[in-house]
Amino acid sequence: MNEKILDEIPYIVTPRKDTGLTNSKIGIWLFLASEVMLFGGLFSGYIFLRVYADYPWPERVLPIVPGLLNTFILILSSVTVVFAWAMLKLRKWNMFLLFMGTTIACAAIFMAFKVVEYKAKFSHQGVRLEDYTILEGHVHKGAVDSQGHIYHLDDNGNPAKHHADENHSKSEKGGAEGKMVYQKTSIDQIVFDTKDISFDLKMFNDGYVNDLLTQAESLRAQITFDKDIKYTTSPDSLPIVVAKAGEPVTLKALKEAKALWKKTIANNGAVRTEELRRQWRVAKHDNPDAPNWQNAQNIKMDMDAIRPNLVASKSVVTAKVEPHVAFLLDPKTTNASAKSAKRKDSTLMSGNLIDSSMELGIDGVDFTFLVQRAEEKGIDPESAIEKSWILKNNPQVRAYWEKHKEYIAELDKKLLDDADGDIIKAEKAHHLERYKMTWKEMVRYGSEGETDLQWFNGFAGPNHKKEEWAKHFPDVSLPREQIAFESKFTPRWNNYYAIYFTITGLHGLHIIGGAIVLGYYMFCPNMFRKNPDWLANRVEVAGLFWHFVDLVWIFLFPILYLM
Amino acid sequence: MSATTTDHGHDDHHHNPNFIQKYIFSTDHKTIGIQYGIVSLLFIALAFYLMMVMRWSIAYPHEPLPEWMSWVFSEEWRGRWLQDGKVTGETYNMFGAMHGTIMVFLGVVPLGFAAFGNYVMPLQIGAPDMAFPKLNMMSFWLYFVGGAIMVGSFFLESGAAKSGWTNYPPLAQIADAKFVNQWFTGQTQWLLGMVFLISSSLLGSVNFIVTLVNLRAPGMTWFRMPFFCWAMLVVAFLLLLAFPPLEVAAIMQLVDRFTGSSFFMPTGLYTSASGALDVAGGGSPLLYQHLFWFLGHPEVYVLLLPAIACVAEIIPVNTRKPLWGYRSMVWGVMVLGFLSFIVWAHHMYLTGMGPMVSSFFQVTTVLISVPSVILLTSMIISLWGGSIRFNQPMMWAAAFLPMFGIGGLTGLPLAFNLADIHLHDTYYVIGHFHYVVAPGILFGLFAGIYHWYPKATGRHMSNILGHLHFWPSLVFINLVFFPMLIQGMAGFHRRWYNGGDAYLEKSVDGTNVFGQTVAEFIDLNVLMSTSVWCLAAAQVPFIINFFTSFFIGKKVENDNPYDATTLEWNTPTPPGHGNFVTEPEVYRGPYEYSRPDYNEDYYPQWVAPKVEITEEEVVTVKSERTAH
Repeated sequence: MNEKILDEIPYIVTPRKDTGLTNSKIGIWLFLASEVMLFGGLFSGYIFLRVYADYPWPERVLPIVPGLLNTFILILSSVTVVFAWAMLKLRKWNMFLLFMGTTIACAAIFMAFKVVEYKAKFSHQGVRLEDYTILEGHVHKGAVDSQGHIYHLDDNGNPAKHHADENHSKSEKGGAEGKMVYQKTSIDQIVFDTKDISFDLKMFNDGYVNDLLTQAESLRAQITFDKDIKYTTSPDSLPIVVAKAGEPVTLKALKEAKALWKKTIANNGAVRTEELRRQWRVAKHDNPDAPNWQNAQNIKMDMDAIRPNLVASKSVVTAKVEPHVAFLLDPKTTNASAKSAKRKDSTLMSGNLIDSSMELGIDGVDFTFLVQRAEEKGIDPESAIEKSWILKNNPQVRAYWEKHKEYIAELDKKLLDDADGDIIKAEKAHHLERYKMTWKEMVRYGSEGETDLQWFNGFAGPNHKKEEWAKHFPDVSLPREQIAFESKFTPRWNNYYAIYFTITGLHGLHIIGGAIVLGYYMFCPNMFRKNPDWLANRVEVAGLFWHFVDLVWIFLFPILYLM
Repeated sequence: MSATTTDHGHDDHHHNPNFIQKYIFSTDHKTIGIQYGIVSLLFIALAFYLMMVMRWSIAYPHEPLPEWMSWVFSEEWRGRWLQDGKVTGETYNMFGAMHGTIMVFLGVVPLGFAAFGNYVMPLQIGAPDMAFPKLNMMSFWLYFVGGAIMVGSFFLESGAAKSGWTNYPPLAQIADAKFVNQWFTGQTQWLLGMVFLISSSLLGSVNFIVTLVNLRAPGMTWFRMPFFCWAMLVVAFLLLLAFPPLEVAAIMQLVDRFTGSSFFMPTGLYTSASGALDVAGGGSPLLYQHLFWFLGHPEVYVLLLPAIACVAEIIPVNTRKPLWGYRSMVWGVMVLGFLSFIVWAHHMYLTGMGPMVSSFFQVTTVLISVPSVILLTSMIISLWGGSIRFNQPMMWAAAFLPMFGIGGLTGLPLAFNLADIHLHDTYYVIGHFHYVVAPGILFGLFAGIYHWYPKATGRHMSNILGHLHFWPSLVFINLVFFPMLIQGMAGFHRRWYNGGDAYLEKSVDGTNVFGQTVAEFIDLNVLMSTSVWCLAAAQVPFIINFFTSFFIGKKVENDNPYDATTLEWNTPTPPGHGNFVTEPEVYRGPYEYSRPDYNEDYYPQWVAPKVEITEEEVVTVKSERTAH
């Protein structure tokens, strides 16, 4: 290459003599420096969040073996990427393809493990009760009819009679006859028998409105406007009717109403502004030397004068549901009381709250937070646990807990022997297990030790579809007022999962991005023929990035999986 | 990773780009520099306008916004965001947040670093272009998209971001939380916009450093580089290393917004609007502040150094003397860059970090004034004994020195955590950093515009319009910011949307917690606001000058109209693609003015020494080397 040509960038392929580097080499090192700061920021965030956590920081809750395998897979891929580069230098295209292909395959396996790991979290429900007991499990599926009756599903997925229905004072009708209208759902929704709905034009959300309309349709009810929806946009114009009373509510009508309502606001704002300006002109004319705040006290808008120019501007549109039916509302976005339910988009529904309890198949009970709170208040942890809602209300959990205490006592004894009587050392050794029952322990306690779980069982968490395990998971119906906080095991659940998903998610994006770039070079045989050194440079640079991504994981793995 | 392809010929007609390639998606560093310059000037104008609206609210909180400002908005927008034509507290917050954001991230940084850096730096080191021209183009367009996202958010249902330019949680996270669709809220768009801007500056900074390391012309050793290039190198490192933690903060806040996590949400947060918040809690608002200010403080030097760099180029040219203390300035700027990474928590004295941490950051903060003073003092001493040519750039550069001096000195009381208890969050802080940024940095950058305009366009800017721009600007900008220092010491809080009116005993909704202090100094609001409008009027000559001089300005007589020594004056005017006609070679340092052994008063870097070297000259060269 002739590097003397102006307007051509030198040192793309051959290094500059005094620095000994090509442009891209410097570039990638600088980029990696910036990446170090990026992940450094995240790791600092991790330390900060963990040190200042006011709740028990989850330790060793992720499956270690797949994580460890992933570590080796990434290390392997870092090696093969170097081989791929070396094969380019040796001008062996097919060997390059082989090694680069291995690298990409490693990346794919790594991501596959990640997908399994993530998926288990997204379907696992966590609930923090008011007394800080933490329950883990899976929400049961069911069906809710238009009257708000809740049914469990039978083996065919059809609504079967609800065991709690016997307590229902309402008369049974329909049952599982097949004629009934019902909606399938997770039993953790607010079931609200709705008579009237008022939409807030300022805030209503398309998705929410559509959801209500679809639910009404499937329950064979109709939502209709109960008054004419009409707006006059300026004092001189005629009223525009969007919909008449009795016409069905549609998203389109609401949007039209919103557009008109905005115009009424604009008109009234302009009229009032004009009047206020006029008043200020008068005030300044009368009192030219008075300070602004003094004049402000004397300013009064002449409402009588401007009233003819103002137009009605109502932002709430009301509708009724005929016949009134039970809607299912997401508890996270609904604020419900006995007679009304307010959705996050300010849609107000009035009627009767029927039920909002959550039916959970429990596969984990964790009292560590409760114990922490009790210790903060100076209460004996054991008696605080005894008083917990779940032990009082669920005999099966109570029975497991007794067995767990026996098991812990045994463990204590054994550890104390091992630790030559050093109580502190012995206690520390299993502080993670003392106040916590995992699903594996539940299976063991429930089956009297007959079902033995191996280390490879349940990488993807407790499987509720596997009957021999699931039969040992206690069912509980949690009243909404007992639930302080509930979430799937997503970033929302707590900051451990938040930082876990954020760091591993960003790392995963780096893996995907790196794999795409590295994979792209496998489709550059032309470049290999014309300028193999340039291609080798590119692979080298991308390989440096790949090493960095590997290195990040080597830091990630211990802090998230082991510590 | 690669740059332009190898099949480019060496003459210009070989390379025949169409209009879009040449002016829109250009990979030429000069075009990109000008694109950055014009877009960032537009953003500065927008942010200035936002501030004019705010100043109206401060001076006349009960009066409707006058027509000459409110005509910009549509009637519907006015209906929503103004109450009977008056600026509401919410609108004020929104404008305040966006004024800061736009000025810092979309205005001054792109103008100083990206525009001037892109245009001037490769010319000064004798490079044909940036090391990665395509990345350079991407960097501009990422910036453009980030800016468009920010500005577009004004038209959303939620309005633009409204939690201050620092976007502190938990306030920032509660703001707009009521909207179901979190994508289209001002707060979210702010975060997304920041992610784009950060990516842009990452690409830019990598490009700058690689160019400086690898593309210097033969003979352009490190210590023959003009100070401007050194400053760009330091700025690029600051951007490279300081921005990622802010990106982390932005990502974490995005995760909080979208997944409901609690990175920055403490336990037990309760708002009057929604009661106890339905979040896990346990997060740390302080973590955000640390991450933000880890960027935030180096960012101050990212703003400042390009302005100092422009002034440092202009002073030697117009005093016809070498820059005094060039080497100490270079070392100074490197120390400054390093120290700027360990002073960030002086923004957080009042967060309850504890006296130990505060004391540490107090010490580093006071330390950083040493290199700053070295820079400023060197430039002032450079004036000593020169016969100064007061052309347009030199006037702005000369005004920069005392203005930046005031800005720097007013910062000292803030560095001490005891004094800061009184001054924190008052107008004193606003006055201090605006003295640095507006009459300081912006004056320096104006100097740069006037200085390099002839190189970029081949025509001089008008001298008369320049005077009409300079003198009113100098007067009014001081009338805007000096009273802030006074008000601040009297305790005026920086976020009062009504300028303290609510604290007047006799005011409409007065509560009089401040006794007589507010009454004493509140009238300064009218003075400051009026000055702001006059300052706006003073920019009109500049706008006229900037655009008309391109067509009717006096043509430059030669490629080096100022008789300057640095390499950018060795290019054709304006420089073509590839910059130099012949490959430049560098023989000496950047500021060789008035050398007694040379028959002209400037000795350009590119002029080869006489071929026959006498023994005497060898001795001179040697003694010169040892003198350095």
